[in-house]
Order: sequence, then C-alpha cells, then structure tokens
Amino acid sequence: MMLLLANIKKELLLLSRDRAGLLVLFVMPMLLVLVLALIQDNLFRATGETATRALFVNLDEGGLGAELGVKLEATGALELVEEFAGQKISIERARQTVFNGDYQFAIVIPPTFSANINAAAETTARGAFREEQSPLTASQLTVFFDPTVRGVYRTAVVNALQRGVLGLDIARKSEAFGRLLPEELQRSMNEQMGPFWSGGMQPKLPQLSADWTGQALIELHEESAYPEKYATLPTSVQQNVPAWTLFGMFFIVIPLAGTLIRERQEGTLTRLMTMPVGNASLLLGKVFAYLLICLVQFGLMLAVGKFVLPLLGTPVLEIGSAPLALLAVAISAALAACGYGILVGVLARSYDQASTFGAVSVVIAAALGGVMVPVYVMPRVMQELSVISPLGWGLDAFLEIFVRGGNLVSVLPQVAALVGFFLVCIVFASLVFRRWRRGA
Amino acid sequence: MILPAGDNVIATQDLVKRYPGADQAALNGLTLQVARGTVFGLLGPNGAGKTTAISTLCTLLRPTAGTATVLGHDVVREADAVRRLIGLVPQDIALYPSLTARENLRYFARMVRVPGRRIEARVSECLELVGLLDCADRRIATFSGGMKRRANLAVGILHQPEVLFLDEPTVGIDAQSRNLILERLAELNRAGMTLLYTTHYMEEAQQLCDEIAIIDAGRIIASGVPAQLVAAADGCENLEDLFLVLTGKQLRD
Repeated sequence: MMLLLANIKKELLLLSRDRAGLLVLFVMPMLLVLVLALIQDNLFRATGETATRALFVNLDEGGLGAELGVKLEATGALELVEEFAGQKISIERARQTVFNGDYQFAIVIPPTFSANINAAAETTARGAFREEQSPLTASQLTVFFDPTVRGVYRTAVVNALQRGVLGLDIARKSEAFGRLLPEELQRSMNEQMGPFWSGGMQPKLPQLSADWTGQALIELHEESAYPEKYATLPTSVQQNVPAWTLFGMFFIVIPLAGTLIRERQEGTLTRLMTMPVGNASLLLGKVFAYLLICLVQFGLMLAVGKFVLPLLGTPVLEIGSAPLALLAVAISAALAACGYGILVGVLARSYDQASTFGAVSVVIAAALGGVMVPVYVMPRVMQELSVISPLGWGLDAFLEIFVRGGNLVSVLPQVAALVGFFLVCIVFASLVFRRWRRGA
Repeated sequence: MILPAGDNVIATQDLVKRYPGADQAALNGLTLQVARGTVFGLLGPNGAGKTTAISTLCTLLRPTAGTATVLGHDVVREADAVRRLIGLVPQDIALYPSLTARENLRYFARMVRVPGRRIEARVSECLELVGLLDCADRRIATFSGGMKRRANLAVGILHQPEVLFLDEPTVGIDAQSRNLILERLAELNRAGMTLLYTTHYMEEAQQLCDEIAIIDAGRIIASGVPAQLVAAADGCENLEDLFLVLTGKQLRD
C-alpha cells in the first residue's frame, strides 16, 4: 500500500512540474467544451430552432409578392430583410451581398409575379371547367444561395419557401375557381338547355371563400426517429458537454502513455525493475494519479456547462438528480481512459507512436461513439458500430442521467462495460509488462 | 538458497544470452565468481557483453542458457529475492529530471523498502555521501553531468545493498566528480559492500578493482588481480596495454 501511495505521489509530483502538460490537460478540454457547445448550439438553431435571415427583393407590381413575404415570415423559418439603411435592395446588390457571405440567401420576386400568377390561376381554373389544357406562363421566383451554405441548411430554407409558395398557389387557384364558377355554370346551362333556358333566370350559387386554403387537412406530427433511445432529444449543451468532456478525459491517454515511454527511455523504469516493487504497484500508481486528474477535468467541464455556457447564451446543462450515478459513470469512464493509456504506453515503442496512435484512436472512438455527431442522426450501420466505442458507452450513460433522469441501476450496463474495458486493458498491459520484467 | 563455494556472492556458470535476430550471442558461456567484499571490474570493448552481464545479474534479462546466482539466489527463479539484496547504478541517469534530488531519493527509497521512519535520514545521508546535500532541493534537470552521476549513485545505495552493480558510473564527467565517486565507492567497499563494476577507464579499474575480468564476444579472455595480470603479460606496462593486447586495436563501433 505504501508503495502504491508513493507511486501515486510521484506521478502527481511529476504532473505538477509539467505546467504546459497540465494546461493542456485542463484548459484544452474546457476550451473544447466551450467552443464546440457554442458552435453546435448555433448550428442547431440555424437548422430549425430559430429563423434564418434572408434578403427579400420584391419587385412585384401587384400585391402577391408582399403577400408571399408575409406567408414566409409566418412559417417562422425565415426573417426577411427588404431594405438596407431605408433603401430597397436591388437584385445586383442582393446577389453581391450573398456572394460575399454577408447573407446566406436572397429571394427575388419578379415585377410580373402577381400578374403571372393571377393569369396562370385563371387559365388553370378555366381549363379545369372546360376539360382542356391551356399553356401556362408560370411565375418564376429566384433564390440566390451563398455557395458555402451546407445542404441541410439550404434544404430548410427551400422547404420554408415551398410552403409559402404552395399556400399562395392554392389561394390564387381557389379564388379563380370561385370567381369563374357562376359564369361557367351559366355558360354550361345555356349550352345544354338551349332555347328552353330562360336567360333571365340566374342560378343561385353558394359563395366560395378562399379562407379554407389556410386550413390544414393533414396535420403534421413530429416524433423522434429513435424514441426508444431518447424520450426527449438532448439540447446542444446536453449533448456537447458530456461528449466533449469524455473526449477530453480520453485524451489523457497521450500524457499517460508518455510517462511510461519516458520512464523507459530515461532508464527509470529499468531501475525500478531491479527493485523489489510489484508491477501492479507501478501500473496502478499511474492509473490512480491520472484517475484523479480525469475527475478534476470532469468536474471543471461540468462547471463550464452549468455556469459558463449559460452566460454565453446557451441552455443550462441539466445534470439530472442522481449524483452517485454520475460519479460512478465519471469514475468508470476515467478508469477506461487510464487503462487505455497504460495499454498504449506499454505497446508503443516511442512517444511519437503513442501520441499519434493514441490521438487517432480516441478521435475514431469519439466519432463512432457519437461525440461529434449524435448517434441518433448517424446512418443505421454507424449506429450499430457505435456500440464498440467506450466513449459511446460513457456518453450513453451521461445522457441517460442528464436527459432521461436515469439512476445508478439504469447506467449499470454502461458502467460495467467501461470497468470491463479498463480491466481488459490493464490485464493485457500487465502481461506485456511482466514479459519485459522477466527479461523475455 | 544455494551458497556458492568460497563465499562468492556472484557466480555464473556457462551463461549464454542470445538476443532475438542477433548473429552472435551477447554472452557466450560466461563463467565468473565474485568473492564477498571485493571490487570486481568487468572490462571489455563496446559490444563485449558487459551491460548484458550486469542486466542478467540484476534480473533484467533472462539468460538463454546457463545459470547465475547472486548471494545464493538464482536470478531467474528467485528474482524477487535478488532484487531485495542488490543495488544498481545504471549507465543512464535513471532519475526523474523534473523532481528534485531529494524527491527522487525519497521515491526510490520507498521502492527499495527503506522503512518510512528512516527515509528522511537515509536520503540525507546518501546525498551527503555524494556531496549533494546543499543542492538536494534543486531539480535534477538543473544539475551538471557530474552532479547527475553522483545522484544516480546515491539512489543505488539507498537501502545499503550487499551487492552494488555499477555500469560505467563515471562516464562523461569531470575529474572532480569522478574522483569523488571513486572515493565513495572505495568507502562503501571498505564498509563491506561488494561492487561489480564496468568501465572503459583502465586506470580507474587499476586503481579501484581488487580483481578484474576482461571479456570479449561474450566470454572471459583474462581474469585475476590487475597488477598480476599486467606483470604476467610481456611488454605491458599497465592495464590499458594489456587490454589492447588482448582485445586488439580495431574499432568496435
């Protein structure tokens, strides 16, 4: 026990002397959580949570352009900007502004927009009564996109636009239909009754109103694509803080593997191997020292989510109401990270090998585990692959506690998997270590 | 425990060590005995097998064939017992550069099982012995080469081992530090510690060693008391002459 404590103390002393290393261990994950939670919060909002600002160049000589603008803003997806400093925006200025990236979209309504729509609606309705096809002059509406805009973002705006246009389309067709109905009925009666039809008798017809065009016949019901996984979808903060916290914790692999490699290179490990000290004491000394570091990292990053991020406008990190479960997940995730660090340190032959392999493998495990993109939005194949990632187990457990109100029992499978991963790593590392020590 | 004949504290018999993929054996039937209380010099050109021999005796390497015992304990089967009785001063400065000399010694004192209540006193004694007490609280990284070598020696003697292995303990340091180290080694030997020591400095070996073995290609080519060996060789005035006669003048890089 005294040997183990001496090894832990030595590791902590070594760490305390490496200020740059400590800075990386604590500041880097905190920056990661801060920056990525903020960036992804904006992305989440841009793809649905808040309105997108777009330029609206309305050159329409009729009133339908303005009506479309009202309908678009009513969808809640778009906020239209029609003027710069009190001046109407020209097409060229709109195109240039979007090209420069100052705005991502510009919607241009042509001068003949109303006239064309009205004419087309009338032609369509009349053609329907007379069962004949007439050539249509469709009204064209142009949207300029910033070429760097991501597909998902573009789709969101186009969908909003199509909703607005469809509403306008139906309204105009219905209006034309209602207006033409008496006239067409009269004409039809005249044709069928001929001389028996008294031209003085006007058929009494019910009046049509276009108001129904705004009433939905089909109601859209939104439901999570993966309800068995998350009853409520996590906010960007709920997703990002535990995800990047785990990422930061697993990056301990590099300094931890590095201490083992440095000890090998400097000869201290060789010296220790000639001393009456057990392998377990040497390896576990490192594990416990770095476990402590991981837990401090974890606490700091939760504090960032709880207290710092809300100051920057994001939702507050809700950490659930199971502190014991949270501690169990944090300890088991930290153990898994430390075990993996020891294994990499034992297997790598140089610091370069350890840092490259360690970093790349952690990034891959993070990607698979849903740290960068939530597992529920991954393709099904990737969702199935995510089960092999310890970061995925940790993230699942954190989300279980943060989002679904999980407790110690509900996170037990993930905790067991993380501890199992630690044991596999440490046993394998011990076997390699023992081989070295036996001079094989 | 099998005590070697004649109170030899170190004994090897036909020791062979072949590294995987190597053309030649690093140790090729090495047989030697080191009597209790002697300073035994293991001399040889680069690649002769000196470090391999020390590493095997210190339980760091498993021999391919043959046997080796330290204080009667087999280095393979009773490695733990051997580790409790020996000290090693390796060729590398095997210390933590970011820790102070005192912190390094405290840590290693725990590892070699110096009783807790004695650690502080023993650390100070060892630092004083190697002339580092005044700078005990400076980090090793700030030490000169000679100071690092002396700190390296201090760690090796923390638990007052019965046998101390030293692998080129004075390489690359100034005359003052070397002189201090040699004086301290002589003192430790006078106090009863057996030293097995490798060096490339022949005059140092002649000054310090009671007995030497010159090895080349993993086997002993001469052994005995330095003065007697020199006297018995025609045209050799000192140990260096004898060494060059026995091992040749071709480079061994």
